[in-house]
Amino acid sequence: MRVVIAEDSVLLREGLTQLLGTNGLEVVGSCATADDLLLKVRSYSPDVVIVDIRLPPTHNDEGLRAALEIRAHHPDVGVLVLSQYVEVGLAMKLLADSAEGAGYLLKDRISDVEEFIAAVERVATGGSAIDPIIVSTLLTRQREDDPLAALTRREREVLELMAEGRSNQGIADKLVLSLRAVEKYVSSIFGKLGLPSSGRDSRRVLAVLLYLRS
Amino acid sequence: MPETVSATASVAPWSGPDPGRRRRTTWPQWGLWLMALAAAAGAVATTVANEGLNGLETPNGLKFLVGLAFAGSGLYAWGRRPDNRLGPLMAAVGCLYLLAQILVQAHAAALFTAGVWLSDAWVVVFVAFLLAFPDGRVTERFDLVVIGMFALMAFPLELAWLLFWTTGGSPENTLAAWPNDTVAGNIDSAQRALVVVASVVLAIALARRWALASPPLRRALVPILVGAVAILLGSVLVALDKFQIEFPTARWAVFAAYVAIPLVVLGGILRSRLARSTVGDLFVELRADPSPAELRDALARTLRDPSLSLAYWLPQFRSWSDLDGRPVEMPTDGGGRATTMVDRQGEHVAALIHDPALADEPELLDAVSAAAGIAIENGRLHVELRARLEELRGSRSRIIEAGQKERQRLERNLHDGAQQRLIALSLELSLLEQELGPDADAGLRLSQARREIATSLGELREVARGLHPAVVTGHGLAVALEQLTARAPVPVRLTVAIDERLPEQVEVAAYYLVSESLVNTAKHARATSVSVDVSRTNDQAVVEVVDDGIGGADTEHGTGLRGLADRVEALGGRLRVWSPSGGGTRVRAEIPCAS
Repeated sequence: MRVVIAEDSVLLREGLTQLLGTNGLEVVGSCATADDLLLKVRSYSPDVVIVDIRLPPTHNDEGLRAALEIRAHHPDVGVLVLSQYVEVGLAMKLLADSAEGAGYLLKDRISDVEEFIAAVERVATGGSAIDPIIVSTLLTRQREDDPLAALTRREREVLELMAEGRSNQGIADKLVLSLRAVEKYVSSIFGKLGLPSSGRDSRRVLAVLLYLRS
Repeated sequence: MPETVSATASVAPWSGPDPGRRRRTTWPQWGLWLMALAAAAGAVATTVANEGLNGLETPNGLKFLVGLAFAGSGLYAWGRRPDNRLGPLMAAVGCLYLLAQILVQAHAAALFTAGVWLSDAWVVVFVAFLLAFPDGRVTERFDLVVIGMFALMAFPLELAWLLFWTTGGSPENTLAAWPNDTVAGNIDSAQRALVVVASVVLAIALARRWALASPPLRRALVPILVGAVAILLGSVLVALDKFQIEFPTARWAVFAAYVAIPLVVLGGILRSRLARSTVGDLFVELRADPSPAELRDALARTLRDPSLSLAYWLPQFRSWSDLDGRPVEMPTDGGGRATTMVDRQGEHVAALIHDPALADEPELLDAVSAAAGIAIENGRLHVELRARLEELRGSRSRIIEAGQKERQRLERNLHDGAQQRLIALSLELSLLEQELGPDADAGLRLSQARREIATSLGELREVARGLHPAVVTGHGLAVALEQLTARAPVPVRLTVAIDERLPEQVEVAAYYLVSESLVNTAKHARATSVSVDVSRTNDQAVVEVVDDGIGGADTEHGTGLRGLADRVEALGGRLRVWSPSGGGTRVRAEIPCAS
């Protein structure tokens, strides 16, 4: 799996490179600016890009804009955006109309090696990785009516992990359940929420997030 | 008190330094008033006594009116313009005239003689009056020569004549030392000839002076024209008298002219006093805080001088400027314009540049410049106040902006410094953990350490957000508000009706407003729902947070609204809070933002 990293902190760039390297991913390019990133994506056609949302020169939203551009012009390249702050709005901006090959994670997550690597691989293969805090913010949002009232506690847990972009197998591993149990929960959830059951994991991520956001 | 400086100094209108004295009529003037009235009464009495009431129907019998007119007008003018000698001159004309008239009617020979000798004294003073008009000073040598000619006729020649002339009856000329009708007759002829010549010269001089005056001044010099005519006619009559030719019409004309002159002068002074009442209207107009152009128009209307212009004194530049701030040259001598200073508290504030004839009416100028002074000072205070307010707003805004820049800097430092390092540290520990392999104990401790770091990172994130909401600067208000409202403990209905970014300061202020309001709602309001609306009308961003709680929000204590209000006001906006007890709370901020 070929990765390009865009991060302006040298410490983290080196750390990430080492982390990915020791876990079987190949870092084919690393840079510190958005322009550089776009160049490298065009040159190396990686499977996934890990980009800090805040890049020079203005340190405002260069990273996000570069991510959106890559999503638009290189749809087969997965984009994982790292940020030091959690913003529901930004995640939705990134996803726009498709969660395929898109990820938004808090930078802190990189030290949770297993999870992080899993997330990178998911995004590289067309899946999604949404930071749990985003999901829980949406889930725990105060609403006048509670659309999730019908769900059981287990179903809520499954819903949360679904929204993070995990596959059924991933959910099963995390909750220590059988795959079949997870599948049952998933269809029950979709039924109760009135969402059309969809094929790809990334499609259901978007469906759930949009549902939770409305 | 305004000080009027005329641009045509050689024919300076009625004026003088320190006109403050003119208001009071002094005891000597009262005495002269009484004397004049007594003299007039006496003249009437003696005429009636000598000729009966019919005597009052001829110019001769009504002569006392001339004396009274001159004395009265002269005394009045002297009272109102104490430093102008025309007043005393006119009064002297009148008094001498009346005095001579009374003395001539006396039966005592000595008095009679004195009366005869003085009978032409008034002419000399009258000529001096005409030549000194209108500023009361005779400066040219030519004028002095003319006066001398009349004086020659009135005093030495008259005395000489008296030495030879007898009345042939009672009362008798006591000075008749060598009675000789022929000599007396010749001297008399010489006198008359001299009068005619001097009158012609005088008339020409006066006419020339009038013709050379600038148009505005000619209005003021009308009395001297009338005087010239009167003198000419009078001298012609004097000449014809010698040949015993009578011209009753001419006599009436001369009489009328002589009565008219002081009355015209008096009229000029009274008109000035009357015009002062229109200043009351001026004050009402000025009450409405006029613009400089409106002020000028109002002053011009009151002064009846459309050519009026206003110049403002700029103390910091030590120069004069007009309504538009352009430099103005003060009128110089001979320029046909006069200047009246407008002073407040002893300092120049402005100047009225006007028709010199206006200096005829110092009371009016006084009142108008006082009104102008007040209006200008008022206007200036307003301008200063606005400037100060602008300055204050500017400095307040700068202070807040400086504070924000500093906090932004700190947030960046945290983000790029401590936060990054902690993440890298945590990552390093993870890698270490991986390297160590399945060694349980060390692995557990490393995990624990990583959890501590994660907690720290969470805390730092909160600190950073409190310092400065970087997401607002980076991604805009809409994005930032979504997270904020999603985390609120009460359901929030968020509507952001703006597509484009607003100025950074405005967005940050709006963010803090919503943040603070939501905190208040959570802490105090016991609400079940909140709505947050951000919209834009014309050039204003409008942010409204409304909850359905218990209301009663105190804007001063513990709600952080005071700080918000400061922030909003420093941006030129306005914060309003409605929080009736039991009726929910509504916080609305309107902040101007040019597109």
